[in-house]
Amino acid sequence: MTATSIRPASRPTSTPKRRQTALLRRRRFWARLVTGLLIAVVFLAPVLYVAMIAFEAPAHFLRSPMTPPASADLSNFSQAWTGADLARELVNTVIYSVAASALSTVLALLIAFPLARRLVRGHRQLYTLLVIGLFLPLAYIPLFIEARILDLYNNMPGYIILHVGFGPSLPLGVVLIYAFVLAVPAELDEAAWLDGTGYLTYLLRVVVPLTRPALLITFLYGMLQVWNDIIGPVVLLAGTSANLFPVTRGIYNFYGLNESAYTIFAAAVVIASLPLVILFAGTQRQLIRAAVAGSVKG
Amino acid sequence: MWSGILLGLAVYALFGLVPAVANTVVSFTDYALYPGAPVNFTGWSNYTSMLTSERPGFMQALVATVVFVTAVTLAQNVIALAVAHRLVGDTRWNGLLRVLVFLPIVLGVTIVGLVWILIFEPGQGPAASLWGLFGAQSSFFGSDTLAMPLVIIVQVWQNIGFSALVFLGGLNAISPEIYQAAEIDGVGRWRRLSQITFPLLAPAVTVNVLLAVVGSFTTYNLIYVLTEGQHGTMTLGMLSFTAAFTDSNLGYGAALGTVLFLMTFIVAIPLMMFLRHREARLLA
Repeated sequence: MTATSIRPASRPTSTPKRRQTALLRRRRFWARLVTGLLIAVVFLAPVLYVAMIAFEAPAHFLRSPMTPPASADLSNFSQAWTGADLARELVNTVIYSVAASALSTVLALLIAFPLARRLVRGHRQLYTLLVIGLFLPLAYIPLFIEARILDLYNNMPGYIILHVGFGPSLPLGVVLIYAFVLAVPAELDEAAWLDGTGYLTYLLRVVVPLTRPALLITFLYGMLQVWNDIIGPVVLLAGTSANLFPVTRGIYNFYGLNESAYTIFAAAVVIASLPLVILFAGTQRQLIRAAVAGSVKG
Repeated sequence: MWSGILLGLAVYALFGLVPAVANTVVSFTDYALYPGAPVNFTGWSNYTSMLTSERPGFMQALVATVVFVTAVTLAQNVIALAVAHRLVGDTRWNGLLRVLVFLPIVLGVTIVGLVWILIFEPGQGPAASLWGLFGAQSSFFGSDTLAMPLVIIVQVWQNIGFSALVFLGGLNAISPEIYQAAEIDGVGRWRRLSQITFPLLAPAVTVNVLLAVVGSFTTYNLIYVLTEGQHGTMTLGMLSFTAAFTDSNLGYGAALGTVLFLMTFIVAIPLMMFLRHREARLLA
């Protein structure tokens, strides 16, 4: 759908062969336009529909849900905001996903660096042990029992710690960072040893800047996993007076309670997804790369 | 240095490895959710009772799982390949389309599930209006005939971006010179596709098919959001979850989880060997 694919058609065509290629290109152009639009509609239309009805007054929605409202009605948003306790749940979600993913990124670095440098005995076996983690099933039942025993059930620190260790984020981070550490010249290590630089200082000052893409991908991937988790909050949190639910569970419950208030519910969905959309817009390059790198997960 | 490794490994072992192994242990007990209930080892009874009428639903779940896995794997890969084929080339539009296709993954299972619930809302939703044009009516996710196909469609819609990106990576790795050479030799479009693109794409096919199979075998979070396993969408993963956390029978849920894991393993390993073999044959 680039400009170059249109240009030949507007150029004077003298020979029949040229005319034929021009025709072929024009047909190709239309085929690409139609398929491109089809993809855009299939993936955008459902999301746009929800965004649209979020701005419809309930009366308008009942009359003609498919037509855009004449004037945007913001009352759905304010009702969703107060009705679903969204502010609280968004803050919870941010705390859970940022804290858990930051911790798992740090731990992944602490494991990956010595393994990649072969500083410890059995580094190969340890690496294999971590790769296995990429394929482990999410075992919620024992995790739930563990959470009850270790007093990690239904509290904020517990929810964070449980999310650091389970799921493929930590092993995936190790694999990614490991590959990046291999690209950091070992001479830098030796120079630092001679200077008497401490281990952690060295990691922070030298290794972190040089492995930044891997660290960022690990962090973003882990964050997305925690943010979008719906089973975790069902299993590991109970609905108590202090609302500990992340926003996924919050809007899911909100749906159950307000099954006919579709416009308000749509507004809640829009509010809950807005941070993700903004984050995605800012980091889509890294994320798409992370998706390819994390293909092991699925 | 050692403290760093040990800290990391401890967290990994405690919340990653131990639960995965402990699942099997729990499956041999009658662990229940009720506080204070005694826990006894019950041998194989959780496994043997699956096949009896004492605990119905296992056979249906098995069938539902096979249907779900087969349909999702086929649809996801065929459509993703077509989408990836369209998105080759770094034009501005393609960049935008890639972002759109990937959007459902970022939005996550809950948002995606709720969006489709709104689309298929039986009273006012756009799907219902469309159905109405043909004089038909359906409760969609609440319908015994439509719930499963719809869940499959949403699962595919949600995950296609991922498979498409893997295919796109594979397509980008094929050097344009091969196509140019083929074009000069007068090789037609269809033969170029079947004799150059498909064979060279074999590694990407391996990754994508395995991912789709393992992913759809074990997934149940989307089903939880869309139907909670009602109306014929109770797959084994969902049944395990329901047994454990709705019916409070952690032991039986764990047994179902173990069966599911073994099934995934039994299907995935020969499949992987077959796909690897196919790669070697096609790339030779």
